[in-house]
Amino acid sequence: MSVTSATPTQQSYRIGGRADAVTGVLLVLPILLTMGGLVFYPLASTAWDSLHRVNPMQPGTPFVGLKNYMKMFGDAEVGRSWLNTLEYVVMAVLAETVFGILAAALINQLDRGRRWVLAAVVLPWALPGVVSGVVWQWIYSPGPGLLNALLVRAGFDFDAHLWFNDTTSAMLCITVVHVWRMMPLTIVIVLAAMQSIPSELYEAARMDGASRAGMFRLITLPLIRSAIAVAMTNATVSAFNLFDEAIVLAHNSVETRPILIQIYLEAFKKFNFSYGMALSLVVTLISLLISLGYVLRIQRTTRLE
Amino acid sequence: MTRTPIYIRIAVWAGVAVLLLWSLAPIYWTLASSITPTVEFSDKPLHLFPQMPTSEHYQRLVGLMDGHFGGVDVAQGFRLALFNSIVTSAAATVLCVLFSLLAAYAFARLEFWGRDILFYAVVATMAIPGYAVIIPLFRLMVATGQIDSYLGVTLIYVSAFLPLSLWLMKGVLDALPRSLEEAARMDGAGHLRILFWIIAPISAPGLTATAILTFLGAWGQYVVPLIFSPKQAKPLTVLIPEFAGKNFVDYGLIMAGGSIAIVVPCLLVIFLNRYLISGLLAGSGK
Repeated sequence: MSVTSATPTQQSYRIGGRADAVTGVLLVLPILLTMGGLVFYPLASTAWDSLHRVNPMQPGTPFVGLKNYMKMFGDAEVGRSWLNTLEYVVMAVLAETVFGILAAALINQLDRGRRWVLAAVVLPWALPGVVSGVVWQWIYSPGPGLLNALLVRAGFDFDAHLWFNDTTSAMLCITVVHVWRMMPLTIVIVLAAMQSIPSELYEAARMDGASRAGMFRLITLPLIRSAIAVAMTNATVSAFNLFDEAIVLAHNSVETRPILIQIYLEAFKKFNFSYGMALSLVVTLISLLISLGYVLRIQRTTRLE
Repeated sequence: MTRTPIYIRIAVWAGVAVLLLWSLAPIYWTLASSITPTVEFSDKPLHLFPQMPTSEHYQRLVGLMDGHFGGVDVAQGFRLALFNSIVTSAAATVLCVLFSLLAAYAFARLEFWGRDILFYAVVATMAIPGYAVIIPLFRLMVATGQIDSYLGVTLIYVSAFLPLSLWLMKGVLDALPRSLEEAARMDGAGHLRILFWIIAPISAPGLTATAILTFLGAWGQYVVPLIFSPKQAKPLTVLIPEFAGKNFVDYGLIMAGGSIAIVVPCLLVIFLNRYLISGLLAGSGK
């Protein structure tokens, strides 16, 4: 479109457009400043500083190239916490997906009180992670703890049993708390997908004499597949970010430490800022790759359907 | 509708009962323990209901009864932490909703250079975990003297929850019919007038969902205040674990403090459940 052909109305529209543009920029300014100052600038700074030696206890910030990144491969604590994070992710995602789908299917069967059941089920998600951590610490505690008391009452010899004396049992206990907190999200996402399935499909299947299990396998599961993938992405990312429950229940113990606690200790207890930054950047990249993997998978499967 | 066989209905209700027990038992146990006298904790066998309910833990928390833990006045610390939690969460919620409402209007209704790039850049940061920026942020806050200040922590919360609330608000605005706005436009109303007098009231459910998600997120934060506000601006989430000392864990205090910290989210979930669920669904599909 050339300038000469512009009619008067178009010109006035343009003036309005410029005023609109100014208003637009003014309206996004608060977001621009907050995100620029507190997310984009620090992100760039993380990348840049990870190539230097930044430690408030040592003078200067000399360029060290990829030294911080190389250091990770030989770091036994980092290796251990990676393995732990991997274990947490596998256990939590598996439990949340399997039990979450089961719970959603149960709630979907209710014809009365569904709203209240859902509210009760969502509650654990809404509570502060540390508070859930201390509550479960109390439940797991050896002497006056609820868990041991219930097991004793059921006839097992669990009086004063220590749940955190053994790495496997400690990590299971931490995972249980994490699943308790995060499963509601899976339930909500999967339940919404189940509710959007038209009931005619089930009516038709029933006419054909399909069993309940058959209907679940042949109608429900295929139609909630992309919702399951979304829920699994969320579950993976939040298990990756495990921190609150682990630090409350097992403090800084190396055996159960997830990667985020490793970064926290490296940066804020040992003050190896640049090493912490290199670590956090690698964790971010891996977490992004996993999310991307899920997204691509969803796209592929939905295109096939 | 054919009637569901009775044995299946029983199975469903049994399953739902297990689900409710799993979800609510720890919360019940928190509340029950918070009114159990300390001496009763060591009773064998354990009582599932407090035998002699007491308010001693709450009295120690709010200062009606003298209480010290590790040489520190419990009540003073608790009142300050409760106040800090409320102030920072509320301020973060108000700023976050306001900023995202303003920006969502600009992104949804106005044309300006770099609009789409900026929108997607902000929303994309949802995928970036907080720890990727936390170390430079710490240096920034030290350099500007904002450690242990309301402003520092609040702005970090805002930057963390803005992408999600912008995404939700933009979705709300995109779904609104434009006829009302156009009519107001004809009458000579400006952008801000349209935004606050027409759009804000009809998008109240979306605003509520955004506000709840932001408030719950800020209220439950632990890592950020642990690093950025460890003393004067310390919130409940940082204070409560401190009642577990090296040699002695005061579970009465922890459970009473924990009960107060979970009452606020519980009320939000019970009364605003509908908005919360819609917000969760819109936010999880990103």
